[in-house]
Amino acid sequence: MQPDEISEKREINRESSVHLIVFKLGSEEYGIRIEQVKEVTLTPEIARMPKTPPFIKGIANIRGDIIAVMDLEERFKIAPIAPEVENSGKRNTYTLVLEAKDYTIGLMVREVPQSLTLPISRIEKTPSFIQDLNINDNYIEGIGKLGSRLIIVLDFHKILSFEEVEQLKA
Amino acid sequence: MKSREQEYKEIFIAEALEYFDALNRHLSNLEKTPEDDQILAEIFRLLHNLKANAKAIGYLQISDLSHKLETAFELVRKHELAFRNEVATVLFDGVDLLGELISNVDDPDFKISDENLIRNLEAIVSPGLGTSVPEVTKVAKFNDRNISLSDLVYIQIKKLDHLLNLVGELIIDRDRIISLSKDLNSDELKVVSSHLYRITEEIQFSVMDARLVNVGSLFNKFPRIVRDIAQAEQKEIQLEIIGQDIQIDRNILQIITDSLLHLVRNAISHGIEKGAERLKKNKSLQGTLTLSAQSDRDNVLIRLADDGKGIDLPAVKKAIVARKFLPKDAVEDLRETEVLSYLFEPGFSMAKEITEFSGRGVGLDVVKNAIDSIGGRIQVQSAKDKGTTFTLHLPTSIAVKGALLFEVEGGYYAILLMHTDSVVSLDKDELHEVGDVLVANVKEESIPIIYLRDFLNNNTDKMPPGSKYRLNGSVQNIIIVTYNNRRLGLIVDKLYRQQDIVIKALNKPVDNIDIYGGVTLLGTGKVCLVLDVPAITRYFAIKK
Repeated sequence: MQPDEISEKREINRESSVHLIVFKLGSEEYGIRIEQVKEVTLTPEIARMPKTPPFIKGIANIRGDIIAVMDLEERFKIAPIAPEVENSGKRNTYTLVLEAKDYTIGLMVREVPQSLTLPISRIEKTPSFIQDLNINDNYIEGIGKLGSRLIIVLDFHKILSFEEVEQLKA
Repeated sequence: MKSREQEYKEIFIAEALEYFDALNRHLSNLEKTPEDDQILAEIFRLLHNLKANAKAIGYLQISDLSHKLETAFELVRKHELAFRNEVATVLFDGVDLLGELISNVDDPDFKISDENLIRNLEAIVSPGLGTSVPEVTKVAKFNDRNISLSDLVYIQIKKLDHLLNLVGELIIDRDRIISLSKDLNSDELKVVSSHLYRITEEIQFSVMDARLVNVGSLFNKFPRIVRDIAQAEQKEIQLEIIGQDIQIDRNILQIITDSLLHLVRNAISHGIEKGAERLKKNKSLQGTLTLSAQSDRDNVLIRLADDGKGIDLPAVKKAIVARKFLPKDAVEDLRETEVLSYLFEPGFSMAKEITEFSGRGVGLDVVKNAIDSIGGRIQVQSAKDKGTTFTLHLPTSIAVKGALLFEVEGGYYAILLMHTDSVVSLDKDELHEVGDVLVANVKEESIPIIYLRDFLNNNTDKMPPGSKYRLNGSVQNIIIVTYNNRRLGLIVDKLYRQQDIVIKALNKPVDNIDIYGGVTLLGTGKVCLVLDVPAITRYFAIKK
C-alpha cells in the first residue's frame, strides 16, 4: 500500500464513512482508523530491547526512524491461532506504523492488512457488556459489521494507557 | 586554521561595517525627519557600540572618530545643534570617513585623505556657538562609493543544530553504504564510497567547527559575577581565568553555564572563608578562585578550584548514614573519593547536615545531571583547609561520540568511551562470589562485576545475584566502566571495536527506560542500543 494512495482515499471517505485498516489478531478481525496509520510495511529486523514488557517486541529502524514495535496478541493476551504449516519456516509479518498524539509505534500483524470502508451506521458503539467487563479501559471503540464479517474497531490512543506508558520505565 | 586574533579582527570588521550601513540608513532617515528622537537614539547606540568595540581591539582612530560623532549627535539630541545644511554635510562626511577607516583598518599606510573633515567635526561641536552655523571648510570628496558586502553571516544556532542532525543521518547512511560496498565486493562502489567517506568526514568537521566558540565567551562573564557574590558575602576574592581560547561546542557551553555558575556561587559562599578566618589559618586574606580550561584529546577539561576550607568529610559521612544510603560501619570503610561521590546522589543534596556544616552539596545532583546529559563527567577533589576542585570532563562536540561496541545475547550495544576505563579478559577463576556479588581484582582494586546478560534479562527491581555458574566459557570479556568515582565491570558476550557513533534519542513510549542513553544505527543497518553507564552504576549502588 502506498502512502499517497491512503491519503487519497482518506479525502474521499471522510464524510459519511470510516476508513479502516483491518488485520487479524488470533482468529478475529480488528480495525484501526486509517488516520491513525502512518504506513504499512514489511516488518524490518527488530532488535530486542531488554527491560521492557513482553508485548514490546523491540525496536526497529523504519526509514531512519527508530520506533518500538508492539505485539497486540501478546498485549491483549490473545492466543495466536495455530500457525499454518508452510513450506518456509519463517513467514513475513507486517508492521503498521501508528501515530499517536505524542509518539509513533509499530504494530506487528501476521497477515497482510486490508483497507476497508464502512459506513458509520454499520459501526455499533461499544456494546455495554464490554464496558461492564471493564476490559482495558475501553480500547474497543465499536464493532463494525460487513456482511457476516465482524470487525473490532480499536481506539489506538487507548491501547496504551498513560499509566502503561509510564510503567514502561524499568 | 587562522589565529584567534585574526578571527576577532574579522568579526570586528564585519560588525563595524554592518554598523556603518545602519548608520547611513538612519542618517538618511534623519535628514527627512530631523526631530525623530528614536532615530537619534539608534544612531547614538550604534556609535557608542562601535566606539567600545574599536577601543577594545585597539583601533584608536575609529574609536576617536566615533567619539567625536557621538558628541555631535549628543548636541543634536539636546537640540543644541540642528541637523541640517552644513551640519548634516559634516556628519555625513564623518560617517563616510568612519566607513573608510573600517575598510582600511588592515592598511598601515592608510591616511585620512582630508584632515579638514576632523576639524569641521570639532568646529560644529565647539561650545559657545549657540545656534549659529560654524564655519565649515569644504572637504574633498574621497569616497567613490563602492558597495561591499560583509564577509560574515550571522546564523541561528537552531540552523546549525539542524545541519548537525543531518550530518548525523548522513554518517549513518555513509557507514551503511561502505559496508554494502564491501558485501557486494564491487570495486567501483568501493572507490565511490571511500570518496563519500572523506567528504562526509570533512562536512562533519566543518559543521562541528562552525559551532565551536571560545570558552572565554562564558568565562569572561565571571569576573563581574564573582565580584558581586563576593561583595554580598563580604569576602575578598581574586578570580584567575586560564585557557579562554579553548574551543568547545556552543550548546555544550550553554548547558554547563548554570552548573558552572552554581559551582562558583558555592565556592564563594561556602568554600572560601572570610578574611579573618583565613588569616587565622595562615592563609592570604584574599581567597583565590581559579577557572581554567584545557584540551585533553577529544575532550575539554574545565576546572574550578578554590583555596577555601575544603569539604568536611566527617560531615558528609554522617549525612550518608543519616540519609540511609549506607550503614554506619560501611561508611567508615569508604575511600575518600567514594565518600565525595555521594555528594552527587539525587536527594543527598537536601541533607541538612551538609548544608549546615559546609554548605556543599546544594543541588550538586542537578549539576551532575546536566553534565551527564551531554555525556560528560564531573569529578571532585578536596583537601581540608587547602580547597576544593571540581573538574568537568566535557566532549568538544555533541554530534559524534566515541563508543565501544559489544554484543549480548545477539543484540548490539554500545557504551561511551567517556565512561569506559579499560577492557580486561579474566578467567572465571579470577572472579569471586562475595556475598551475592561477583568481584574481581583489577589493578589492585576490588571491583564489583555484573553479568550483563543476567542484568538485562532480569525484570525485577533487584539486582540478580552474581553467580559464576551461569557464565559461559572460561574467559570473560569485561568492560570496566567508571562513573562518579566508582568502578564497575560488565561481562559482555562479544567485544567489537571502538567506533564513532551518532546517538539518536529513543522515542516514546520507550524513551524513559533509564538504562538506555539512546540508540544508534550501525553501518550494517542494525539497531544498537546505547547503555547509560550512570544509570547502570546507580542501579548497582542502590539495589545491591
